[in-house]
Amino acid sequence: MTSLEHREDPTEFTVSVVPTAADVDPKRFYRRQRRTELSLAIGVPVALVAVWQVAFALEFIDHRFYASPWEIVTSDELRKSQFWSEIWTSAQRMLKGFALGSATGVGLGVAMGVSRILRASLESLLSALYTVPKLALIPLFVTLFGFGDLPRIILIAVTVFFFVWIATMSAVIGVDEGYREAAVSFGASNRQLFRHVLFPAALPQVFVGLRIAAGVAVLMLIGVELVLASDGLGALIEKGRTLFLPELTYVGIAMAALMGLVFSSLIRIVARKVVPWAPEEQSRGQA
Amino acid sequence: MTLPVKVSAVRVEKHFLDRGKTGVHALGPIDLSIEEGQFVCIVGPSGCGKSTLLRIVAGLITPTDGSVELRVSRLKPSPTAMVFQDYGIYPWKTVEDNIRFGLDIAGTGRKEANSVVESWLERLDLVAFAGSYPNVLSGGMRQRVAIARALAVEPEILLMDEPFAALDAQLRQVLQEELLQIWERDRRTVIFVTHSLEEAIVLGDRILVMSARPGRLVLDEPVPFARPRSTELRASNSFNAFRTRLWDCLKGEVEATSGSNSGSNSQQVDP
Repeated sequence: MTSLEHREDPTEFTVSVVPTAADVDPKRFYRRQRRTELSLAIGVPVALVAVWQVAFALEFIDHRFYASPWEIVTSDELRKSQFWSEIWTSAQRMLKGFALGSATGVGLGVAMGVSRILRASLESLLSALYTVPKLALIPLFVTLFGFGDLPRIILIAVTVFFFVWIATMSAVIGVDEGYREAAVSFGASNRQLFRHVLFPAALPQVFVGLRIAAGVAVLMLIGVELVLASDGLGALIEKGRTLFLPELTYVGIAMAALMGLVFSSLIRIVARKVVPWAPEEQSRGQA
Repeated sequence: MTLPVKVSAVRVEKHFLDRGKTGVHALGPIDLSIEEGQFVCIVGPSGCGKSTLLRIVAGLITPTDGSVELRVSRLKPSPTAMVFQDYGIYPWKTVEDNIRFGLDIAGTGRKEANSVVESWLERLDLVAFAGSYPNVLSGGMRQRVAIARALAVEPEILLMDEPFAALDAQLRQVLQEELLQIWERDRRTVIFVTHSLEEAIVLGDRILVMSARPGRLVLDEPVPFARPRSTELRASNSFNAFRTRLWDCLKGEVEATSGSNSGSNSQQVDP
């Protein structure tokens, strides 16, 4: 810390550089810093909810169309077993779709990253399909796969696939030539090159793709369930609107947000275990 | 005393094709033969193709003309091992696993590999970092890992591509001396590319000076200093006289490079 101190002669100063709190007791400093950050992370959303509650109590907000946080938390819906089974239905769809989409995305991404021939044959085709709005495929998928879980799962899988495919392919292509050369200089076969170099080198980027895809999976889940509104979280949200039960809609939205948060945190935790060498920010990506 | 020839190059040339445009004549023709157990240092201006020559010997790229022959007693594990300036070691492998890499590729048994890795960890003072990832290591430590990884496979020919160029002067000297100590023990064939004449003289039995692109050999000179070489050698008059003689030969080539292509001067030759 630098401070200026006037001597008797006002044109003369002493500049002193002394240890800050972080230097004197770094353990305590960083503990406090962490505590402050955590309380902000929790405090800011809580404060916003409190403002909402107060605005509701003072009737700044129309009670017919909007629910208060208290109404949402104490809603009867949360105590109905049917509510939780709808959420479970949705969660399963999302996980299945995510698993299917990310597995094919990683698989094809790796294959296309390695093989120029595959890339030449498929890249422009897939890039064109990537831009198709996936919700527009609902009618097609219903015709193909019926009205059950399958069209919903496949729609989520298709969406997830593109994000993971692009992240994986570009990661494999982008593996530094120096890393490949080092392996080849030791006489590595193609399989060994893949196992020891290309795959681990690409993994941090793949996890960035997975985290982005996790968010998009929730988005697609709710989207498809709003359209095919027979069951699931999206159907609940829609039901809240049609039956004039605003708290039901809000409960549904809050649940969707929570689901996304839990899911992407899970992927971050897995990433930390699987790619311990990667800097944290890299596996966090933009997600 | 003549030892068997380990590496011989006959009229080796390399042209790089620049996507259908006129190619770049990077190297050659070069004729060269290196005896078994010789420590050969190659110096030359940037872009003269010395790394290209090394890559051809390593089998990473092929010459466009001529041929390189290695006389080796085995093909697996690879008879050559290379130490790179950077990107040598893998950030996703721990120090231990990096050193084990060449052995994994060769399919060496677990037990044998473990004992080899352990002995190299000890010899290069890396035991405390065995389980660490390279991102926590200093530059000098990483290069130690790269050297250990290359030597763990007991290559018949060790190739080093400016391995110490990224290190500071003090650390470079420490690692040069470590490398010499290790080399004195088994005296394998080494081809060492550097842009530092001092480094070449301290380490090598023989110094090859290459011309500006396309790289050719302009000087092939035995180093007249006995081994083991002491640290004091660097300060001696005879050392400086020898270095000055080499520099006189090299200077013209460096000037040719910087005159014709001022864009690629990032790595210059140290007098």
